[in-house]
Amino acid sequence: MASTHSKLVASTPIIDGLMPAKVVTPADPQELASILARAAQEGQAVAPIGGGTSLALGNVPERLDLAVSLANISGVISYEPTDLTLSVWAGSRFDEINKILAENGQTLPIDVAFSDRATIGGRIATGIAGPRRSGSPTLRDLLIGVSAAHSSGTVTKAGGMVVKNVTGFDLMRVYLGSLGTLGVVLSANLKVLPVGRRDITVSGTFSNLEKAIEVAGKIRESRVRAVALEVFRSASDWSVAARIEGRETTVQLLADETAQTLEGDVESFEGEASESWWNVFSEKEAPTTNGEDVVLRCSTRPRCGHGLLKKLSIALEEFGGTVDHVSWAPVIGTTTLRCSFNDDENPRSKFLALRDGAMAAAENVTVLAAPPEWKAGMDIWGATPETIDVMRALKEQFDPARILNPGRFVGGI
Amino acid sequence: MDQLALIERLIHIVGPNGVFHRPSDLIVYEYDGSVDGAVETARPSAVTLPTTTEQVAEIVRLARDINLPVVARGAGTGLSGGAVAQQGGIIIALTRMNRILDIDPIDRTALVEPGVINLELSEATLPSGFFFAPDPSSQRACTIGGNVAENSGGPHCLKYGVTTNHILGLEVVFPDGRVGWVGGHAPGGAGYDLTAALVGSEGLLGIVTKALVRLTPTPEATTVMLGAFPTVEEASMAVTRIIGAGILPAALEMMDALTIKAVEPQYHAGYPMDAAAVLLIEIDGITEDVRSTEAEIEQICRESGATTVRIATTKSERDLLWKGRKMALAAMGRLSPNYYLHDTVVPRTKLPGTLSRVSEISTDFGLEIANVFHAGDGNLHPLILFDRHKPGDVERVLGSSKEIINYCVEIGGALSGEHGIGTEKRDYITKVFSSDDLAAMAGLKNAFDPTSYFNPDKFFPRGYMCGEVRALRSQAMAQKYGIYPL
Repeated sequence: MASTHSKLVASTPIIDGLMPAKVVTPADPQELASILARAAQEGQAVAPIGGGTSLALGNVPERLDLAVSLANISGVISYEPTDLTLSVWAGSRFDEINKILAENGQTLPIDVAFSDRATIGGRIATGIAGPRRSGSPTLRDLLIGVSAAHSSGTVTKAGGMVVKNVTGFDLMRVYLGSLGTLGVVLSANLKVLPVGRRDITVSGTFSNLEKAIEVAGKIRESRVRAVALEVFRSASDWSVAARIEGRETTVQLLADETAQTLEGDVESFEGEASESWWNVFSEKEAPTTNGEDVVLRCSTRPRCGHGLLKKLSIALEEFGGTVDHVSWAPVIGTTTLRCSFNDDENPRSKFLALRDGAMAAAENVTVLAAPPEWKAGMDIWGATPETIDVMRALKEQFDPARILNPGRFVGGI
Repeated sequence: MDQLALIERLIHIVGPNGVFHRPSDLIVYEYDGSVDGAVETARPSAVTLPTTTEQVAEIVRLARDINLPVVARGAGTGLSGGAVAQQGGIIIALTRMNRILDIDPIDRTALVEPGVINLELSEATLPSGFFFAPDPSSQRACTIGGNVAENSGGPHCLKYGVTTNHILGLEVVFPDGRVGWVGGHAPGGAGYDLTAALVGSEGLLGIVTKALVRLTPTPEATTVMLGAFPTVEEASMAVTRIIGAGILPAALEMMDALTIKAVEPQYHAGYPMDAAAVLLIEIDGITEDVRSTEAEIEQICRESGATTVRIATTKSERDLLWKGRKMALAAMGRLSPNYYLHDTVVPRTKLPGTLSRVSEISTDFGLEIANVFHAGDGNLHPLILFDRHKPGDVERVLGSSKEIINYCVEIGGALSGEHGIGTEKRDYITKVFSSDDLAAMAGLKNAFDPTSYFNPDKFFPRGYMCGEVRALRSQAMAQKYGIYPL
């Protein structure tokens, strides 16, 4: 099962400054399940580890005893190109997955930051969607089956290997974005798609935000169904980028139409250049921090999103820190912000003020990453959902001993 | 509480016009769209027709207090017994909660009550340039609430996805009688994806009283193509080649000779009577794309052996081609007094083999089986023709159906693609899920409905719930590790 070139976790993973006493790398799903059962018996807190690219996501752990690496549970289980389905072990890295799919002209069309380390299992745990969520299926749409190990020591599956299926409850999507708090995902069945025959990104820059928002709105309403559409800050200006994929001739046609809407100086990237441009973009929105960065994701309904963006941009003018990245997805309504407060004497209070301001204007704000000491005592997931009781009951059913990432999820689950 | 007192309480909640309790009124609620004989019928104590969320919540609280089962019901078009009150109790029919509350062309959403009819929602949003993508064949009658409960598909889910891909949020009455929202306008709400858990949960987890749905912009151009083939294998080959070429049609449907024989004389859709299989291929998108794709698909069909390829570009031509497909079930009446519509899924490339096996089963059981199905996603709909007044026919139907299910599961398929498990397939569920798998699903059920009074006796194998699940999990852990969870 384990692909020979899977890298073992090189160093002990540190989550919000906490180092587990022990790191184990089980050889197979059964061993992993047994480790969980033993941990449940001994009350040891477990953090499942994929590629370690998104460990900054989550509340500060309540406790952490054991890191369980999925590095040896990787590789392809089955791949049926003509069925457009792929089944992989959770520790498989995206660069491996993408390589196998590319050999057959297929792709898992989701944005992945740090694909040389990030794993499918980790991505299922975080559930984060990148710029392509605006016009392309997300992992939520592509995940057709899953298997997971639970703290009871059992291994269970849900879904299947067919692209349309209502057999059984949809645990796939319940696990997606659950940060490993219900079980450790062992394998994933995925719907894959043919690679777009052509991929062009066009981008234009504007001297003011109003104009950028207006142009992005026009592109959104146009017949061009861009797979990604973002308004973002570049230096002191605002830019709009649209990614267009599809059949050869029409992609060029639609890119030209979009360029006309963008007016003036328009940059264009095609193929690999387009891919790597969006990779850089995704990395800025990833839940990572160098110990100083803060990444906020502010959700609003699309019709209110530009209002939020304007408020945020005014707040950022005043706050005096370094803004590395601000972007708004007009189709989705989400604004993502990466900034640092390193110049300030009391950075945490500035950070809290920024978050509170965003909370007041958005439906929810998630702190995707921040220095650990700033997160202490905070629910980074934002507003507590009104159904938190059901969520707690769900946790109780799946992990009664509370050993899986305790405290890191919503409301301290 | 006796029956009289129950009716009084219910009338107090929903008014005298909102409660059915006479045997003659209840009889229609003993059924849903499932085949009589294949799915058990059962009589509820009462049927209520609330008009507000608060009324639904009050009925739920009453039922909880007096320990009566609750079954939510939409139009009753389901085909797996989901809307039948298997253990009696109170049916909450949501058909009077049928208002479209908001259509928002900027957010591309609609807020609807659960009793809104699927097709009516699309009709209401078309003037704004949008449609609601899930389009089950029953879309003229079925409700959005029912679509949510069953995670309905339809021909166009090949490109656009099934119901779960189009639900952003739900207002739900939970089994504890509380009302709450899951999901919402903005993605990024915190916590477990309870919206996903509720969609397709067949009324076991909660009752939806409002749905916030995603609207899809209507495509600039649409074409429907017909390909007629001398063999099913060649038609299947064309399907594989179209998908393999990276083309994602909006719909890709196949009908076999028996279906053509039923449909064509009645609806004159233009299907060649001598074809062994016809494909209906719908493509949509921007005009230039559709034109170039048409040409490519025509070439693929011809190379795969199509004897006829026709392209319908006007709406009336398209509607005529679709009419044959959409009326296929109704047309079966020409061939046989009854039919049993099956719903299984296999990996798409295993379709030809599956059809051969279905044909063998047809011979073995001496029953004609017509095939009309969503070829693009491997979702079969064998129609087993029978006469329920003929002694032994129902038993043979169930026998042949078991064979079809067994085969589909053996080759890696699923029990149901879009109709649900309900009571129809609950005893087959252990063919695809182990007791541990079911225990995890029961964990989800327990989190929502610990006393298991929402739509009891559905989905899980007979007698599985009722507190056994927790015991089962405890037992498994105790045996393996000596752990006793709370």
